[in-house]
Amino acid sequence: MKEMGKLHQLVIHVMGYDIAFNLEVIIMTWMVMAVLIFFGFAASKKRALLPEPVQALGELFVSLLYQLTVDALDEEMAKTYGPLTIALFMFLLLSNWFGIIPHLDEPTKDLNTPLSLGIMGFFIAHYAGIKAKGLGAYLKEYCTPIFFMAPLNVIGELAKVVSISFRLFGNIMGGAIIILVVSYLTYSIFLPPFLYFFFGFFVGTIQAFVFTMLTIVYISVQVK
Amino acid sequence: MTIEGADIVKAAAFIGAGIAMGFGAIGPGVGEGMAAAKACEAIGKNPKEAGLLTRTMLVGQAVAESTGIYSLVIALLLLFVV
Amino acid sequence: MEFEPQVIIKIAAYVGGGLCMGIGAVGAAIGEGYTAALANEAVSRNKDLSGDIFKSMLVGQAIAESASIFALVIAILLLFMDIPVPSLLKASALLGAGISMGFGAMGSGVGSGFPGGQACKGISRQPKMTGRLTTNMLIGSAVCQTPAIFALVVALILMFIDFGNVPLNPTWAALLGAGISMGLSAIGSGYGGGMAGGASCEGIARNPETVSSVTTIMLVGQAVTQTPCIFGLLVSFILMFKAFPETTALSPSMALLGAGISMGFGGLGPGIGNGMAAEGAVRWVARNVKHQSELMRTMLVGQAVSQSTAIYAMVISLVLIFVV
Repeated sequence: MKEMGKLHQLVIHVMGYDIAFNLEVIIMTWMVMAVLIFFGFAASKKRALLPEPVQALGELFVSLLYQLTVDALDEEMAKTYGPLTIALFMFLLLSNWFGIIPHLDEPTKDLNTPLSLGIMGFFIAHYAGIKAKGLGAYLKEYCTPIFFMAPLNVIGELAKVVSISFRLFGNIMGGAIIILVVSYLTYSIFLPPFLYFFFGFFVGTIQAFVFTMLTIVYISVQVK
Repeated sequence: MTIEGADIVKAAAFIGAGIAMGFGAIGPGVGEGMAAAKACEAIGKNPKEAGLLTRTMLVGQAVAESTGIYSLVIALLLLFVV
Repeated sequence: MEFEPQVIIKIAAYVGGGLCMGIGAVGAAIGEGYTAALANEAVSRNKDLSGDIFKSMLVGQAIAESASIFALVIAILLLFMDIPVPSLLKASALLGAGISMGFGAMGSGVGSGFPGGQACKGISRQPKMTGRLTTNMLIGSAVCQTPAIFALVVALILMFIDFGNVPLNPTWAALLGAGISMGLSAIGSGYGGGMAGGASCEGIARNPETVSSVTTIMLVGQAVTQTPCIFGLLVSFILMFKAFPETTALSPSMALLGAGISMGFGGLGPGIGNGMAAEGAVRWVARNVKHQSELMRTMLVGQAVSQSTAIYAMVISLVLIFVV
């Protein structure tokens, strides 16, 4: 259990700063992206009225998640933010499932991945809010109920980024730790496959969905 | 073990931060859960208004969460400022 | 007054064992009482089914009991364990193990009483669904035992892993904090998981055709309800396995203890809140199964928002561990 905290890092010195890259996470993220890009090409190569399995799977993802975006926002905005929802969900789903395959790790187990996705969602939501309401009305909202509450409102908004990314990180990391410990205690007999199923497939799916839903919800709260 | 004044003040601040955030998280957690439960009930009774009800729930939860944010602010102040 | 390590470790083991069994018995007793109360109500409503109801009550109580049996096992081990190298560090680990298992059994004990009781009541209402109700009760209460099992794992690690040559001064607080973090955060998740399980048995009895939807939503709701106690487990593992530099000052130890307190209490409320949200969703899926997807979505968003305070607590714990 000692090797739990070890990471393969590539450290680059740029202008007096140390910039560290977690190599394994980067490789895993690129692998997830490669699978998704390949899936995208395979699903849209032969567009037929009677879809083949790959195309049918792609259509299933797109239609379900697009409907979700329409429900949370509206028809007009869903055209803008629908692709974001679909891409985000598919990326997170595959990332969370990735650890089930031996020798592969979930990219979401490293805090950097969920945090960067959370920050991305934060900027998109606030951009959408400014675009929909105008800068004045947007700024005015921070001064509710009284003007001196503004710092607390700002912290509240920043806390959303923290909560959305730490939720995903905590669940995936916690699941990985539980699997590791139980495998260690039971010498990998009998129990770990069930745990992989529960934490990998089940919790991974739910958390991917929750992250995606919250990103849309944050956009819809800013817009309306 | 020698204990100095500054050390004891710091120790108190750290444990205070833990207590502030820990206890401060109980209330909002339960309260927001209640809001979510009632929102589910309302959607079950009146599914047509699901969008409006979800938004109302989110606004209510955001207000309920403000006390949790106050605890977070106090905890961070205790950790980094005091 | 100077004590030898032998004496101090015995004191810690006995106090830990007492705390473990004393607090661990609270939850299961309340849960079993709840099951028995609803079973009595059910028998008075439908006397002919008393045999089935009695069986179901006993099975439900047996599951609710398992949380306090874990506590009993840990307490007995604490009392009679032989410690080869007594040290002050081990004393704090034993106390932490007792706290973790004692509080950890509380929520799951109360929680698993809810599905049991509602299943008994459901059998009297829908005798034909006895089989499905029992299955659902078993699943629901088994899932709400998960926090107690996490607490058991942490307690066993604290008791049996040799932490080796680590500096006493901040590490004792880390081990105690690990126990507090796991034990207290398990209360909320256990209780909340039970609420969802109870609502699902009630819902199946009310509308037997909705069995599969109700069970699905119950499982999803319970899985999200576990999140606060998974955070507690994460913090307690970091506290147990991170190496801390030796100090003579008091403040680093208090920071680690504070991290445990923050995560422990911080996980308590959100766990219960998540359970409430899941209960509401499960109850109304049974009454309005057509709008299952809206309900599930609202439940997930509501739970996610009500978890955010647990996440702030985790962030404060991580800051206390890694930054200060």
